[in-house]
Amino acid sequence: MLRQPLSRALALTSPVRAAPLTARRFADQVQAQPEKVEVFIDDQPVHVVPGTTVLQAAAQVGVEIPRFCYHERLAVAGNCRMCLVEVEKSPKPVAACAMPVMKGMRVKTNSDLTRKAREGVMEFLLVNHPLDCPICDQGGECDLQDQSMAFGSDKSRFTDIHFSGKRAVEDKDVGPLIKTIMTRCIHCTRCIRFASEVAGVDDFGTTGRGTDMQVGTYVEKMFLSELSGNIIDLCPVGALTSKPYSFAARPWETRRVDSVDVLDPLGSNIVVATRTNEVLRILPRTNEEINEEWLADKSRFACDGLKRQRLVSPMLVDSRGNLTPVDWEDAIVATARALRDCPPDKLLAVAGDLADAESLVALKDLVNKLGSENTCTEQYFPLEGAGIDLRSSYLLNTKIANVEDADFVLLIGTNVRFEAPLLNARIRKSFIHKETDVALVGPKVDLTYEYMHAGDSASIVKDLATGTSSHAVARRLEQAKRPVVILGAEQLRGPEGAALLAYTQQLALKLHDKLADKSWKVLNVLQRTASQVAALDIGYKPGVGGALQGGPRVVYLLGADSGVVTREALPKDAFVIYQGHHGDVGAQIADVVLPGAAYTEKRATYVNAEGRAQQTLLAVSPPGKARDDWKIIRALSEVVGERLPYDNLDEVRARMSEISPALVAYGDVQDNNYFAQATALAQSLQKPLSGKLDVKLKQLEDYFMTDPISRASPTMAKCIQAVIKQKQSPY
Amino acid sequence: MSLGKFLALDKLSNFFNVIRQNGGIRASLYKLYRQDDVKDGVLVGEDKYGNKYYENPRFFYSRNRWVEYSDKYYLNYDGSQVPAEWFGWLHYKTDLPPHQDPSRPHYKWMADHTENLSGTTAQYVPYSTTRPKVEAWEPKRKDSV
Amino acid sequence: MSLAKIFSVSSRVRASGVSGVIVKRAQYSSSSEGNVEKVYPQNIPGYKYVNAEEQDMSFRAMSDRAAQTMFWTELARGFAVTLAHIFKEPATINYPFEKGPLSPRFRGEHALRRYPSGEERCIACKLCEAICPAQAITIEAEERKDGSRRTTRYDIDMTKCIYCGFCQEACPVDAIVEGPNFEFSTETHEELLYNKEKLLSNGDKWESEIASNIRADHLYR
Repeated sequence: MLRQPLSRALALTSPVRAAPLTARRFADQVQAQPEKVEVFIDDQPVHVVPGTTVLQAAAQVGVEIPRFCYHERLAVAGNCRMCLVEVEKSPKPVAACAMPVMKGMRVKTNSDLTRKAREGVMEFLLVNHPLDCPICDQGGECDLQDQSMAFGSDKSRFTDIHFSGKRAVEDKDVGPLIKTIMTRCIHCTRCIRFASEVAGVDDFGTTGRGTDMQVGTYVEKMFLSELSGNIIDLCPVGALTSKPYSFAARPWETRRVDSVDVLDPLGSNIVVATRTNEVLRILPRTNEEINEEWLADKSRFACDGLKRQRLVSPMLVDSRGNLTPVDWEDAIVATARALRDCPPDKLLAVAGDLADAESLVALKDLVNKLGSENTCTEQYFPLEGAGIDLRSSYLLNTKIANVEDADFVLLIGTNVRFEAPLLNARIRKSFIHKETDVALVGPKVDLTYEYMHAGDSASIVKDLATGTSSHAVARRLEQAKRPVVILGAEQLRGPEGAALLAYTQQLALKLHDKLADKSWKVLNVLQRTASQVAALDIGYKPGVGGALQGGPRVVYLLGADSGVVTREALPKDAFVIYQGHHGDVGAQIADVVLPGAAYTEKRATYVNAEGRAQQTLLAVSPPGKARDDWKIIRALSEVVGERLPYDNLDEVRARMSEISPALVAYGDVQDNNYFAQATALAQSLQKPLSGKLDVKLKQLEDYFMTDPISRASPTMAKCIQAVIKQKQSPY
Repeated sequence: MSLGKFLALDKLSNFFNVIRQNGGIRASLYKLYRQDDVKDGVLVGEDKYGNKYYENPRFFYSRNRWVEYSDKYYLNYDGSQVPAEWFGWLHYKTDLPPHQDPSRPHYKWMADHTENLSGTTAQYVPYSTTRPKVEAWEPKRKDSV
Repeated sequence: MSLAKIFSVSSRVRASGVSGVIVKRAQYSSSSEGNVEKVYPQNIPGYKYVNAEEQDMSFRAMSDRAAQTMFWTELARGFAVTLAHIFKEPATINYPFEKGPLSPRFRGEHALRRYPSGEERCIACKLCEAICPAQAITIEAEERKDGSRRTTRYDIDMTKCIYCGFCQEACPVDAIVEGPNFEFSTETHEELLYNKEKLLSNGDKWESEIASNIRADHLYR
C-alpha cells in the first residue's frame, strides 16, 4: 500500500529524516547499520550513512546550505534550486537536498561556482517576487529576505523600470486563518507537502507550468485542517501569513516568552509573542517529545480570546441580583464570610479545565483546612477499582513520541484528531512512514488516514479483552509487537465507564504480557483537558455528580466552565464563588467573581496527558485587577482565618512536591507501572457492556470552541462559520 | 563715491524715505513700538491671514526679507504665524514667493495654517488612537425593578 | 635677575599649550644667558599667546599706564565704540520679523504626509520605529476595513526625539518627514507627545513646504 501521496517522497524517505533518536527510545536500533561513507564538505571529512543527502552531511559538520523548499520533516522536493553546491568532478552544480552522498565525494559549499549558482537562483527568484517587504508580514523573519542579503547579488541588473512583465497571481481564499498573497509565492511547495503528508488534507497542489505555475487548491476552498496554521511557519516567504496577526507587529519588536499550551491535553510547547502587554501571536516551540515543531490551530489562534470577555475586576452580587464590580477587599471579605459560615460537609470546590497545579493545591489545602473533602474536577473518571490511586490508569503511558514506534494503534472511543491533534499527527506519521495500522472502536470519524473500523459498540472492547472476538482487529492485535491502546477519557463518564476501563486495562495487560519488550507500555487513557492529570495527581475527585447530590451550600468554582455545575442542580440559597479569567458559564451563575489570570499571565504548572509537568511563564500581566490564582486563594485563606503556609511560588511548589514530586519535575515524565494491579482491582467491575461509544468532537467545526478562551475568541468563531460554509459548498 | 554719500546724506534720505513709506511719523513710531524696527522695502506679497512680506536687498542677507504681522495680532505676534507657503521664502530657501511658484501643491485636503497654540485652550492634548487592549466581560443584567 | 623671576617664567612655559616648542627655546636661550623675558616665543605663526603678559616695566610704559588710569581714557574710548554702533546697521536679526536662512534639508517638527488623493502614506512598516535611536516612535498597526495595512497608533515622543532624521531616511514611502517647522515649543511636556492625528494634521498644514523641500532635494536622494 502506497501511503505517501508522492511516490517521490517515498523513494527519498531516509531514516535520518525521522525524529531524532533521543526522543524515540523504541526506534529500531537492531537494524544492521550499513557501513558509513566518508565525504568531504569544504575539505572537512565527515562519515555518514549511505543515503544521507549532501545537505544533511553538511549540517553534520555545521555547514549550513541555503534552502527554500527543503524541510527536515517533509519530503524532499528539490525544486527551489537554492541549495546548489559544487561537487568535485561534477560538471554542473548539484542540488544538495536531493543528492545522496557518494564515497569520497568532495563538496564545495563556498566556491565561486557555488556562489555564482546561488546568486543566479536568487536573481531568478527575485525577478518575479514583489518588492513589498515594507507591507509584508514576513518582513524580518523572511528566508528570502535573509538569504538574498547573505547569498544574493549586491547589485541589480534590473534596469528597465517600465518593465511590465512582473508576474502577478490572484490571491486564494483558504479560510479565516491563513492569508495568501500568492504573488509572493516562490513555489517551494512546502505547504503542499505539509498538507498532504502531515495534515492529511490533500487539497493543495500546483497548476500551470513555468511562469504560469500557481500554488492553490484549483477550485477555491478552505484548508479544512486542524493543523493548517503550520503552513504559515513553513512558508519561507510572505505568501502565507497569519490572518488574525496580519499587520499587527514585526518580529523584532515582539518579546518572546516560552510557555506551554493548555487548550489541549498534550501541553504543546509554545512561544508567546507579546508587545505592549498584549499577546500578539503564539508560535510552536520545538519539543521532539511532544509537538515536534507543529502546533494545532486552536492553540495557535485562540489567543485573541485572551483579550475578550475578560474578568478584570472582582464582582459581587448586589441586592438586585446583579453582579457589580467591587474592590478586592469587599469581594474577599464576602467570600471569606460565606466560606466560614458554611458547614464543612456543604462546601464544594470544583476545578475547571484550565486550572493550574498551584491553584489546585492551594484550593484543596484551603478546603481541607475548612474541614471539607469535597474537591472535584469537572471531567469524570471512574473511582471504582484502582480509581485514581494508580497514576498509570489515567495517563498516556506510551508517551507521545513513542507512538511513532508503534506497529498497531487501537483507538477506543476517541477522535484523536480533534481531542489531541498532534498525537494524531504522530499516529499519521507512523502510519505513513512505518506501515503502522490503526483500528478504531467508536463512531466513524475522519482521522486523515485509513483505519480499520471495528464498530461503535462498547461490547467490542469486551470481546477483544476476553479474546472472544473474531474481528480482524483482534488478529492484528495478537500479532502486534508494539501495540498501543488509546482510550478516550470521555467514554468513562457514563455508568458503563468503569467496566469499559476495566476491559481496556485487561486488554492492554493481555497484550503487554505477550510482548518481548516489557518496557513498552500499551495502555493509554487520553484525557480531555490540560488540568485533569494535575488535579487527579493532587487528589481531586473526578466528576461532580456525587458531590452535587449532597446539596452544597457554598460552591467554589476554580475556572469551572464546562457547565457541569448549573444553578438548577444547586439548592436555591447556594452561594457560588467563581474564580477564573473569562466571563463564561461559571461566572454567569456566580455570586462572587474573583478575577484570575489566564495561562499566558502567570507562572504556573500544568501536567499534560503523559504526566509530564511543564510550566507556563509570565508573558503579559493579568488585565485590570486580576491576580495570580494561587495568590487569590492564599489571600482568601488569611481572611477566612485558615492561613495557608506558603507565601511565594517556591513555597507553593515545595508543597506540590510534597504531594507528588512529579508535579515539579519539569519536562520529565516518569514511567508508570502497576498495570497488573490496576487490572486486578478492576476485575470485579467487568460487567457486560451494551452502550455505544460516542465522541463529542466529530467534525472540524466541533473542534474550535471547547474552553472559555476559545469560546471568547472571534477567530475561532470565524473558523466555525467558515468550516460550515465550506461543507455546504459543492466542492 | 558721491558727495551725498560722503556726507552721509543718503542716510538722511533713507531716514525720511522710511518714515514716508511707513505712513508718517505717528505710524512709524507705532511700528517702532510694535516691531522694534522700521525699515523700507518692497512689498512682495501678503498671505491670507494679512501678514505682509517685504524685501529690501540694501540690508544684509537674512535681514533683507521680513514679515510684518497682521495688525489684528497687535503685540501677540509670533514666529509660528507665518504660514507654510511663505515659510520657504522667508527662510531664504527659495526666491519665488508662493504666488509665483507654480510647482507648489494645492490639494483640497491641505489644512489651514494655525499658529503655535500652546498655552491656549485650543492647545493639543495627547490622546490614545487605539482601542482598549482588553474587553471586559459585562455580566448579564437581571431585569428587576 | 632674581630666582623668583626665573621661577615665574618657567611656570608660564609650563602653562602654555605649545610647551614642546617653548621648552626647547627656553633651554636654548637660558644656556646662552639671554634675556629671560624672551624665553617664550612672541611670534610663532599659527599660535597666539593668551595668558597675561608680563608688563613692560620701563618708566615710559609705566607713566603711560598711570596717565590712562588717571584720565579714564579707556572709558571714553568705550563710550565712543558704543555710540558708533548706534548708527551702524545691527548685526543681529529682528526675530520673529526677520528669520535666518534654512536648508531644505532642515530637520524640524515631524509630520505624516498624504498622497495627493488624500490617502495617508504610512503603511505601518515600522522601519522608522526600528531605526529610531532614541526609541521615540511607537507604532501599532492593524488591518484597516479595506484590507490595507495602516497604523492605529503612531506616537512620537518629541521630547525623546533627537532630530537625527533617520526616520525619514528609513521611510520607504516618504510618509514620516521632519518638516521645516521649528516653532513648536510648548508650555507643558505632554503637548510634545504627538499622536497620529497631530502628525497627520502637521502634514496637512505643512504639505506645501514639505513638498517643495523634497523637490529641492530630489537630485540628492
